[in-house]
Amino acid sequence: MPILNQELKPSDIHQGDNLPPVVKHVTQKDINLYAEASGDFNPIHIDEVFAAQTPLGGTIAHGMLILAYMSEMMATAFGESWLSRGKLSVRFRAPARPKDTITVSGKVGSIEHKEDTSYVNCTVEARNQSGEAVVTGEAVVKL
Amino acid sequence: MVYILNNTREAMHLLKKLILSSQVRRVQSKGNNGLPLSFDQLVAGYEFPVTSYELDASIISKYLEAVGRRSEQHALATKFVPPLVIAAYTMTALSKSLVLPPGSIHASQELEFFKLVPIGITINCRGRVTQKLSRGKLRLLVIELDALNQDEEKVLSGKATLVLPS
Repeated sequence: MPILNQELKPSDIHQGDNLPPVVKHVTQKDINLYAEASGDFNPIHIDEVFAAQTPLGGTIAHGMLILAYMSEMMATAFGESWLSRGKLSVRFRAPARPKDTITVSGKVGSIEHKEDTSYVNCTVEARNQSGEAVVTGEAVVKL
Repeated sequence: MVYILNNTREAMHLLKKLILSSQVRRVQSKGNNGLPLSFDQLVAGYEFPVTSYELDASIISKYLEAVGRRSEQHALATKFVPPLVIAAYTMTALSKSLVLPPGSIHASQELEFFKLVPIGITINCRGRVTQKLSRGKLRLLVIELDALNQDEEKVLSGKATLVLPS
C-alpha cells in the first residue's frame, strides 16, 4: 500500500489490500487535551467523579478523537485524495477509555469505476486491547 | 448606503454576505431569543443559527498535539487543515446553541470532505435537527451539518447521531 502518495492511481490499489494500521494508547491527558483543542468539555470525558456515577462507570474518550485516529490511517494510505474527497460513515460500538490501546485498521473492500472517477470502498474499524470493536464503519475515497 | 464595486467577484462576495446575514437573522428568529435550546425545545427541522470560526495555526497545532503529533502529517506538511479539525470545530460551534445534558454521547457519525482547506480560513457552519426521538429513557438527536468556506463553498458535511441521558 503506498504511503502519503499524492500521485496514487487506482491501479496501485487492489481489493483486499490492508490499510496501514494506527495504534494509539489513550490516556486521560490525551482526552483532556482533545477537550481543550475541540472545545468539547462534556464531563463524561473529563470529570472522573461525574463519569463514575453514570452507567459508563468512568470517563471515555471523545468519539471524534477515535475518528481522528481513523482519519490518520486514511490520510496515510491515500494522502490528499482522502483529505479532499474522503467519506466516512461509522458507528460507535463501545467506549474507548483511558489506558486503552486502540488499534485502527482497514481493508479495501472493492473498487468501483464510474465515468472518470474510481471509488475505493474500505471497511474500517477501531478495536481496544481486548479485541472489542470500539468503532466500525466504511470509508470511501474518490481517486 | 452606497457601495462602489470594483469587479464582479466583489459584487458576488457582497451578495453572499448579505444572503448569509439574512439567513442568520432568519434562523435566529426561530430560536429561543438567542439562548441555547434544550432537547425539549428542539423540533425536527430546526436550523441552528449560522456561526463562524477561524482556523488559525494555533488551533491546528493544539489539535495535532491532542491527537498525536504524527497525525495527518500530510495535511500539516502541505499547510492544509486536517478535515477532522473542521468536523470537531463545526460540531462544537453548533452545539453552543444547545443545552446538551452532561453524559450525552455519540452513537454514529457520517462525514464527507469536498475540498482542501488552507490554514487561516474562516469557516461558516450550518446545521439542522433532522430527527428527534424520545422513547422511554432513550433520547436521540440527529443533526446534519455543513461547513462552508469564505466563498460559501461546501468543504465538509456530516451527520451526527447523539444519545442523550434522560
